[in-house]
Amino acid sequence: MNKKVAIRRLATGVPGLDEILGGGLPEFSFNVIAGSPGSGKTTLAHQIMFALATPEKPALFFTMLGEPTLKMLRYQQQFPFFNLDKINKSIRFVNLSDDVATGNFGQVLARITQEVEAFSPALVFVDSFRSVMLEVQHQSRGANSPELFIQQLGSQMTAWQATTFLIGESLLGSDPNPVLTVADGLLLLEQSVYRNSMVRKMQVQKMRGQSTRPGMHTFRITSDGIEVYPAALVHVDTGEASVTSGPVRSRGRLATGVPRLDEMLGGGLPSGYSLLVAGPSGSGKTILATAFLAEGVRLGEPGVIVAFEQTPSQSWIRTLDDMVHAGQIGLINTRSLDLSIDEIVQHLTKLIKKMKATRVVIDSLSGFELAVAPTFREDFRESLFRMFAVLSGLGVTVVMTSELEDRYMDLRFSPYGSAFLTDAIIVQRYIEVGSRLQRVMAVVKVRASVHSTEIRRFDITDDGIVIGDPVLEYEGLLGGQPTRLQASSTVKKGKR
Amino acid sequence: MSATDRNLRRKAIRRTLAQRAGDAPDAGAVAEATLSILRKVVAQLVPVIGARGVDVIFGRSLHLASAAFPCLAVDGTHEDSVALLASLKARLAGREPNDAAEAGCTLLVTFTELLISLIGESLTARLLEPVWVSTPPVSEKETKS
Repeated sequence: MNKKVAIRRLATGVPGLDEILGGGLPEFSFNVIAGSPGSGKTTLAHQIMFALATPEKPALFFTMLGEPTLKMLRYQQQFPFFNLDKINKSIRFVNLSDDVATGNFGQVLARITQEVEAFSPALVFVDSFRSVMLEVQHQSRGANSPELFIQQLGSQMTAWQATTFLIGESLLGSDPNPVLTVADGLLLLEQSVYRNSMVRKMQVQKMRGQSTRPGMHTFRITSDGIEVYPAALVHVDTGEASVTSGPVRSRGRLATGVPRLDEMLGGGLPSGYSLLVAGPSGSGKTILATAFLAEGVRLGEPGVIVAFEQTPSQSWIRTLDDMVHAGQIGLINTRSLDLSIDEIVQHLTKLIKKMKATRVVIDSLSGFELAVAPTFREDFRESLFRMFAVLSGLGVTVVMTSELEDRYMDLRFSPYGSAFLTDAIIVQRYIEVGSRLQRVMAVVKVRASVHSTEIRRFDITDDGIVIGDPVLEYEGLLGGQPTRLQASSTVKKGKR
Repeated sequence: MSATDRNLRRKAIRRTLAQRAGDAPDAGAVAEATLSILRKVVAQLVPVIGARGVDVIFGRSLHLASAAFPCLAVDGTHEDSVALLASLKARLAGREPNDAAEAGCTLLVTFTELLISLIGESLTARLLEPVWVSTPPVSEKETKS
């Protein structure tokens, strides 16, 4: 008895799309793909169509305008998914411009129905919807209102035992379109332009019967077609997640590769932790991060680095390059200025899984913020939060660097207020002693662990970071103007 | 497109035209053959790119082909494609048979190559496959029997 209908879900063939749809497209659903011109609607439709159409489950693609069909075929061919072998056998293009031109959309509907009955497609696409609306509005005859036509089309589509798509320019005008009520799925594509960058976003506004990934997801149209970067999901059960990852963390500590730093951290960096290395330009953050990766390679723990900064040909950077070339660590190197964090997270996740990496370096958050499209900057902290959640879910240990302007009036560790998001913090600073700049470093925080509280001098040599003894003879180091701790001759260093 | 492909295609078009026109055709037969092939081409393309799309390509092909064969020139007085085709047929029929055959062939070749320049060789071949006689008629008969 009580057997529920089982809805098959179709894999769309668009990377990332199935995830945001909540597991694929429901079979026999009626979907609307809407968006402004150039937002990628037709490309998305074609990519889905070429992925799903087979001789047994063929697709019909109705186009509404004459010349643009030629253009569409011309340009869509450039994508590798446009498989010419499928044309005619699995995919048929049908042009309706002449029927639309008559203005009698009863005829358009009849033609669509007739073609569908003749070809028995499993997939039907109607592109583009707005052109129908406009023609219809201009030339509507009698009782056939555009709304009625769309509703008729929508309900007809439901009965075809086909998965159907209406592709249209922004149907979301001032008044809600009735077709959106009828539709089972509604995909909105948009291009968001902010300052000098453009970012494509996609939203599943509606998908009946399944739990979709909420929010706007960025996507790119690459030479391979559309790739969607699902916004990293922060599970509601974050609390539990941290409990479950507890054992992972307690499993051990990772050697940082910097002599004496492990000791300062209370025995190395706890596994699964995120460490923020903050410091001014040139203080040695990248070197520390590189040492962390190199030590991993030495111990057989693969790593991945996301580099947003120039990589000068210094000896330790060469070490990094060598490790990348040897395939010992994975590199994501990008300087484009229109990234979304989700895109990086997706690439990173893939690479971590591929390399089976346990160590991740992000160098640096400052460069990251620059590389992220301006439109995302406002949400940068939230996105970082999501990224940390994803990385922590993967169980990797993360070291990230952050450029920190030397301010001696206040004590800050990160320009993003992201310090609280990280499990451990190391701060590096310059101090002036005897008219010379010296570097000092301190471990500010290691969550749930004993650690050194000393401020130690360190040098950068060809061998990397060499940590010296605690600076015991001065105080006021973090203010940049240390004073010598000798009751008799307290000399105030530095001038303002 | 490679020269070999182009030659093969041109040969196929010429063969198709010759086969339709029959043995030792007069200009009227050539005109009729050209038109019937054109109609087949149009029938293949209209469902995909629409009548308007076909008209545009056809108009451009006439213009391009008229450089070599002035009899193909369009004067723009024709109301629709039906009138245009009728006038084209009359003009071809008024030529010497060989001249008409060359003009018809050039028009079909120009049309096909224009389409190729827009949507590529493979897709064009796929769409127009049923129109052309692919192999010489003799071998076709052999395979059938």
